[in-house]
Amino acid sequence: MIGCYDFCGHYEWTFEWLREQGGHDLVLDYWENAIYRQSQTHATALILQKGFDGMREYWGHTLEHEAAGYAATEAPGVYRIDMHQCPSKGFLIRNGLVQFHDYCDHCMGWIGPLMRDAGFVIDHEHNHAGQCWWEIRSTSDQSAASGPGELAGDADVRLRADWQTPAIDHYDRAIHPDDKRPLP
Amino acid sequence: MNSEPTSLPYTDTKPVGASDFYFASNSTFRFIEQRLGMEGLRRYWHDLGTRYYAPVAERWKSGGLGAVATHWRDFFKAEPGADVEVEQAKSEVVLHVRTCPIIKHLRDNNRDIMSVFCQHCHFVSEAIAAPAGLCARVSGGNGSCTQRFGAALPPQDIEAITSCASPSPSITDTP
Repeated sequence: MIGCYDFCGHYEWTFEWLREQGGHDLVLDYWENAIYRQSQTHATALILQKGFDGMREYWGHTLEHEAAGYAATEAPGVYRIDMHQCPSKGFLIRNGLVQFHDYCDHCMGWIGPLMRDAGFVIDHEHNHAGQCWWEIRSTSDQSAASGPGELAGDADVRLRADWQTPAIDHYDRAIHPDDKRPLP
Repeated sequence: MNSEPTSLPYTDTKPVGASDFYFASNSTFRFIEQRLGMEGLRRYWHDLGTRYYAPVAERWKSGGLGAVATHWRDFFKAEPGADVEVEQAKSEVVLHVRTCPIIKHLRDNNRDIMSVFCQHCHFVSEAIAAPAGLCARVSGGNGSCTQRFGAALPPQDIEAITSCASPSPSITDTP
């Protein structure tokens, strides 16, 4: 049986297997159609129907379930997550598992299309070391992402001494994993 | 790391996995079958067994049936909701899966399970077992099954693996 205990390991392995079979487009297709549209229907139902309330309900449950080290911040018009210890990326790092070139892309791979369909856009950065932040706003809201500490205070992951890594990926008002631009 | 000793090659800080990940395994199988066909899905299962689970194959190769039994005891200890007895006999290891945790979680959450879902247990385990000179045979499925690991077992009858096209009464009935 394929288990859930080491799920993140075979999930990451699967990205590279799919890339070998059908290239980058098959991986994107997988994230959107297998993960967003089929696996994560519980998240989809909550967020499409309830918006920010659904985000709180979904991530409150799932990040506790996965024993994540994170903080969620809510302010008018925005839902923010600061991930200090991603349980998923952390599992891969601790076990030395690297098959796919950027595991972190999978989150934008399914959350991006979900937010697009729900009428939201995402500002996001991940540092490939198990830390990231997300700000989700309505598509009609033209506000820029907050500065470090401005919205989440001390919980802002960007204030950590170990936040800066050689490879931080940055997204502005994104809905797709290919929207990213690496920071210099 | 989880402080309890385990034979599993990849370990986590929490003792038991998050069951909602079962949703993704189910969706992954369906996606691969839809895009690459049944041959592609069997290739995925085989490659998963030979490549991702290569460290398990190494342990079975060096440790024989004892390592097989230890692996499955540790494996099911980390799967939420599993009710599985692992029996080690002289020439084989038998898993008596009374409650398959993945099928139960999918059924409990009204997920549509592809009919050939339980075949993955044969194809993945067979690929892990082969380098150790062992084979894996599955009978039953759709919530409960018997799995045998040994060196000299009859060929797998794929029809002996139960389809998941409809819910098993033993899984869906509530007392």
